[in-house]
Amino acid sequence: MIAKLISNMHFLTAMVLFLIGFHTMLTHSNLIKKVMGMNIMETGIFLFFISVGYVRGGSSPIAVPGAEGYINPLPSALILTGIVVSVSLTAFALALIVKLYNYYGTVDADKIMQLRGGEE
Amino acid sequence: MQSVVLQTVIKLLLPFIQVYGLYIIFHGHISPGGGFAGGAVMAASFVLFAMSYGVGEGFKRLPRLIAQWLESLGGLIYIALGLTGILRGAAFLTNVPEWLGQAGQLFSAGLIPLLTTAIGLKVCSTIVTLLYHLLEEGHYDSQTD
Amino acid sequence: MNHLPVLLVALYLAAALGLPLLGRNKKFPAGLFAVGVAGCGLILAAASAWHVAGTGTYSYFPGGHQAPLGIEITIDWVTVFLHLTINLLAVLVLIYSTADLSRELGGGRAKTWYYSLFFLLLAALNGIVMAFDLFNIFVFTEIGTIAACALVAIRPKRLCVEAAFKYLVLSALGSGMVLLGIGLLYMVTGYLNIGAMAQALPKAFAMYPWNVLVALSLFVIGLGTKAALFPLHVWLPDAHSSAPTPSSAALSGLVIKVYAVAMARIIFQAYGAELFSRIPVPDVILVFSTAGIFAGSVLAIGQTDIKRMLAYSSVAQIGYIFLGFALVTMNGIVGGILHIFCHAVMKSLLFLAAGAIIFKTGIRKIEDLAGMGYRMPLTMAAFSIGALSMVGIPGFSGFISKYYLAFGALAADKPVYVAVILLSSLLNAVYFFPIVVRAFFGHKEKQMTWDRLPWAMTVPMVVLAALTVILGILPGGLVRIAELAAGAWLN
Repeated sequence: MIAKLISNMHFLTAMVLFLIGFHTMLTHSNLIKKVMGMNIMETGIFLFFISVGYVRGGSSPIAVPGAEGYINPLPSALILTGIVVSVSLTAFALALIVKLYNYYGTVDADKIMQLRGGEE
Repeated sequence: MQSVVLQTVIKLLLPFIQVYGLYIIFHGHISPGGGFAGGAVMAASFVLFAMSYGVGEGFKRLPRLIAQWLESLGGLIYIALGLTGILRGAAFLTNVPEWLGQAGQLFSAGLIPLLTTAIGLKVCSTIVTLLYHLLEEGHYDSQTD
Repeated sequence: MNHLPVLLVALYLAAALGLPLLGRNKKFPAGLFAVGVAGCGLILAAASAWHVAGTGTYSYFPGGHQAPLGIEITIDWVTVFLHLTINLLAVLVLIYSTADLSRELGGGRAKTWYYSLFFLLLAALNGIVMAFDLFNIFVFTEIGTIAACALVAIRPKRLCVEAAFKYLVLSALGSGMVLLGIGLLYMVTGYLNIGAMAQALPKAFAMYPWNVLVALSLFVIGLGTKAALFPLHVWLPDAHSSAPTPSSAALSGLVIKVYAVAMARIIFQAYGAELFSRIPVPDVILVFSTAGIFAGSVLAIGQTDIKRMLAYSSVAQIGYIFLGFALVTMNGIVGGILHIFCHAVMKSLLFLAAGAIIFKTGIRKIEDLAGMGYRMPLTMAAFSIGALSMVGIPGFSGFISKYYLAFGALAADKPVYVAVILLSSLLNAVYFFPIVVRAFFGHKEKQMTWDRLPWAMTVPMVVLAALTVILGILPGGLVRIAELAAGAWLN
C-alpha cells in the first residue's frame, strides 16, 4: 500500500494540491486568497495531466535522430490550453476584485456582505 | 519603483528578452514553444519596462491603440488563415500540402508558423494590455479614451 | 462535407474581435451591426439545418485530420436543434438590446464592448453544442463562462460586480472539476474523442471502475454548477437578476441549458445510456432535479423583485431538463430537449417583458405591478402568455414539453415524477398568476394607455409570444427534431 503510494507520488501530490486549492477557494473569505486557491487547484490538475503523459526515461517529443521513447505530447499541449484558461480566469477575477475594492474598500467577502446589508 | 539599478538592468536585458521571444514564436513548429510561450516572453519585456519606468512610459513604447489593433488583428488573422482551408475546398484550418517542406527546417510546416505568429501577436498584446490595466489599478476610464 | 456550422463560430469570433476596432469610430452603429451579424448567424444555422435534413447528420474534421487523432465536430440533430434555438434567441435579444442598453450601461463605448462579449458568448455556445471532443467542450465552456461573467459585470453597479465574482468563483470550481474528470478519463482510455472513448470505456470500466466513476461524478458536479443544478445554483439568482435585461434573457434562456446539453452529451455519448443507467447516478440526478424544481418554485414565491423571481424560476425549470435527461427514456429525453427550446423562448419573453416594464416605469417590485395591464397592455399580455406557458396550460408550448416529460416518467416506470410535474405546475401557478391577475384585475386605472415602447422592444416580445402560442398548438416539427436528437443519444 505504502510502496504503491510512494511510486504514485505525483498523483497523490496532484490530488492534495487540488484539495488544498478547493478548500481555500470555498472557505476563505479573502477574495485574493480565493483566487490563489483557484490557481493552486489548477496547478494540481496540471500536475496530474503532465504525470499522466510522462514516460519514464522518454525524451521530449521532437523528431531527432537517436531518441527512442517519447513522452506523450498530448497532455502537455492540453495543459498549455489549460494554463491559458487559468490565466484568463485569474486576470478577470483580479480585475473584478479591483472593482469591488473601489466600491467597498475591502477585499473581504464577509465584510462586503455586512456593508451590503439589506440592499437589493 | 523608480530605481537606477533596475532601470539600467532592464534596459540591458530588453533586447535579449525580445529576441528570445521572437525566437520561440518563429521556431514554434520545430521545437517546444510557439505562439503562447513566445508571446508571453515578449509581453514580459514590455511589462518589465512598464514596471521599472512607470506605466506612462510603457504606453509611449506600446500605445494603447496599437495594442488594441494587434489584439484584434491577431485573432482575425488566425480566423482568416483558417478560412483559406475552406476556400481551397478542404476543411477549416487545413494545412497547405505544397508548403509543408522539409521537416525540421525553419521554413516548413505550411500554415503553422503563420498561425503561431498570429497567436504570438495576440497573446503579447493581450497580456500587455491586461497587466497595464492591473498596474493602473482601475483608474483608467474607458469613457475618456 | 458542409462548412456552415464552423463558419457560424468563425463569424461570431470574427465579429467579437472586429467590434472593438470598428467601435473606435464614434458614429459606428454597433447595435445594427450586431443584429446584422446575428441575423447572418441565424441564416447559417437554418441553412445548416436544411442541409442536415436533406443529407443526414455528419462529422466535420477541422484541419482534415480524421478522428480519433484529429478534432471531431459532430453535426447531429441535437446540434441542429440547439443552433437554431441559440441563434433565433440571439437575434431577438440583440434587437431588444438596441433599445435597452443605453439605459443600462450608460453612454460611451460600453455598448461596443457589450456586443463584443455577447458574440464571444454566442461563439462559445455554438461551439459547445457541436464539439465532439471532451477537451473542446472544456475550452468552449471556459470561453462561455468568462464571457457570461463579463456580461453580468459590465453594468457599472456594485451588485453586478459582486454577483459576477460569485459566478466566476463557482464556475472556476466547476471547470476545475471538469478538467480533472477529463484527465481521469484520458488516463484510462487514452482518448479525448467522445466516439472513441465510448468504445474504450466498457473495458476501462472493468479494469479501473473508480477512475470512471469519479470522473462521472466530477462531470455531473462541475457542469451541474455551471448549469445551476440545485444545490449548486447559489450563484444564479444574483447573477441573472442584476445583469442587464438582454444578458438576463440570454443567460437564463441559453447559457445554463447549453451546459446541461454538454453534460448530457458526455453522459449519453461517451458513457452510453447503458453504463449510465447501470450505476445509480441517474437516480441521484433525479432526486436533485426534483428538489430543484420544488426549491426553485418555493423560493420564487417568496421574492419581491420581479427579475429575481424569474431567476429563481430558472432554477426550477433547469430541473425539468435534468429530470427529462435522467429518466433515460425516449419520451423523457424528448421532453428535456423540447423544454430547452420552450423554456428558452418563454423565459426570454418573461425577462424581456419585465425589462420593458423596468425600462418604462422603473418598477421592479411585484406588488407595484397592480394595474400595469392598463398602462402597458401589450407588454403585460406578452408576460401573461409567457406565464401561462410556464405553468403548462394546454395550448402553450410549455405544456408540450411537460406532456412528454410525464410520458417519459411513465415509460421509466417512475409515476411519482408525473406527480412531481403536476405539483410543480401548481407551484408555478402560485407565483405567476397573482402577477397577471393583479396587473389586469387588481386595480383599475382610469383610462387605458398604450405601451409607447420603442419598436425594437415590442417586436422581439411579439415574436416570442407568437412562437409560444404557435408551438403550443402546432408542435409537430419541433417534436420531430427533438425525437431525432433523442434517438441519437439513446443508441
